[in-house]
Amino acid sequence: MDCTSFFFALSPTARSAKYCGEDGQWFRHPDTNRTWSNYTLCNENTKAKLKSAYILFYMAIVGHALSIASLLISLAIFFYFRSLSCQRITLHKNLFCSFVLNSALTIIYLVAVVNNPPVVARNPVGCKVLHFLHMYMLGCNYFWMLCEGIYLHTLIVVAVFAEEQHLHWYYLLGWGFPLVPASIHAVARKKYFDDNCWMSVETHLLYAVHGPIMAALLVNLFFLLNIIRVLVTKLRDTHRAESNMYMKAVRATLILVPLLGIQFVICPWRPENRLAGEVYEYIMHILMHYQGLLVATIFCFFNGEVQATLKRQWMQYKTQLGQRRKDHCSMRSASYTATSITEEPAFMYHHDCNSEHLNGRRAEDSELVALKLGDMYA
Amino acid sequence: MGPPTGATQRRQALLWFIVVSQCVSALGCGSHYEFGIEDLCLAKFRLDMHELGERHWCSWEDTVELYGRLTNCTNLVAFKLGCFWPNKLVDDFFIRVHKHYFQDCSLSGRLLKDPPNRILGPFIVVPILVTLLMTGLVVWRSKRSEGIV
Repeated sequence: MDCTSFFFALSPTARSAKYCGEDGQWFRHPDTNRTWSNYTLCNENTKAKLKSAYILFYMAIVGHALSIASLLISLAIFFYFRSLSCQRITLHKNLFCSFVLNSALTIIYLVAVVNNPPVVARNPVGCKVLHFLHMYMLGCNYFWMLCEGIYLHTLIVVAVFAEEQHLHWYYLLGWGFPLVPASIHAVARKKYFDDNCWMSVETHLLYAVHGPIMAALLVNLFFLLNIIRVLVTKLRDTHRAESNMYMKAVRATLILVPLLGIQFVICPWRPENRLAGEVYEYIMHILMHYQGLLVATIFCFFNGEVQATLKRQWMQYKTQLGQRRKDHCSMRSASYTATSITEEPAFMYHHDCNSEHLNGRRAEDSELVALKLGDMYA
Repeated sequence: MGPPTGATQRRQALLWFIVVSQCVSALGCGSHYEFGIEDLCLAKFRLDMHELGERHWCSWEDTVELYGRLTNCTNLVAFKLGCFWPNKLVDDFFIRVHKHYFQDCSLSGRLLKDPPNRILGPFIVVPILVTLLMTGLVVWRSKRSEGIV
């Protein structure tokens, strides 16, 4: 008979046994002379499982803490260096904010509710509100990723001459819309599956939130593949340099979307085998809880323009330190020209915002843009 | 044969006493236990459930405490009489209690379950459709604002 799964640490795949003797009586334990069922296999792994659960718990907290740290550093970089500002960076800032809030809320939820059985037993309204907010922030994360994808799509495929787009609709989709799936989930949960603190994950009502998230990821993937298609087919033959540049701008987003989405794809398929199951759990936890760190790294720390700006700032700082005593105007103007020289060839490397600059603002590139326009609509 | 002699009587009385004491200690976890839980535990439980009212017998929130008290009471009586707990008698006892009080409760009444598919379906499909609509709206609006410019 299967071990009952009423306590999560009992392995439901292990079996309990009761022995029937030759005289038709159940086996009696020699010490107590009572009928005795063998449940030892059920809890032989309990200690190991509890230990593993605690390790995963602390791993989740560490992951979210690292994410918050790296995201705050990235936000500081984006806010401090005004030269980096453009619309795409504004979208990045909003994305990072939503990730920070999501991680903070997850940490609070894990520490205050999941690790706290008395609170769960008491079942206050606050923990359900916290769960609702958690679902909302989760939606915000993925919908901001979708906004990034839609923005790139509009920029590259739909209208090449993108003057500044109006970002109001993006704000609405990123911050406002996730309230809808979260509210629907809350209402459904309250009416049909009102367990303590809504902690159970055994219910299909969670798909009221995860379904739209998966839809957003799929739509995002579709947009990005469409962009790749346009870049490869229409621009490859004539304007290889620009095509490469756009490709690099898209690359970061294209790497991120599958990584963020893969947890939803492999979630239902937990392996039966104990060792494989543990490996699966660790991989899933890494994918889920270190996402903020991944996003900050790919969108900020690995970004060429950010790296160039930081290097430039560091060089300036070193120069200023070295020359603090010498206060010559000529020296200062020389350092300014040096930085402006480094800006010129910068657009040849992959830059997120320069794709926008290319579209409208630089006179010397208008010829290239006109050619591209001709190609696109030919 | 004449009336039993004094020695025989004494032996018989001793034998009888031994047999009875054996029976008592054997019955200690038998009918004594059964009487004990019927008188001490079930009577109180019956009273409480009567006060609660038959309408609420299937409501877990209302009955969980009373049920817990009944269980603890049987445990205590077993402990006092030196019996093992749980045992076959208490199992039968609880089966009788269930048959009387909880016979008509729905099978899934105490277990949280998903709603049926005709209710679950819309709760999942509607958010997905709204998401796709909203995405389309944002794409359309950002396209249109370029057209204006």
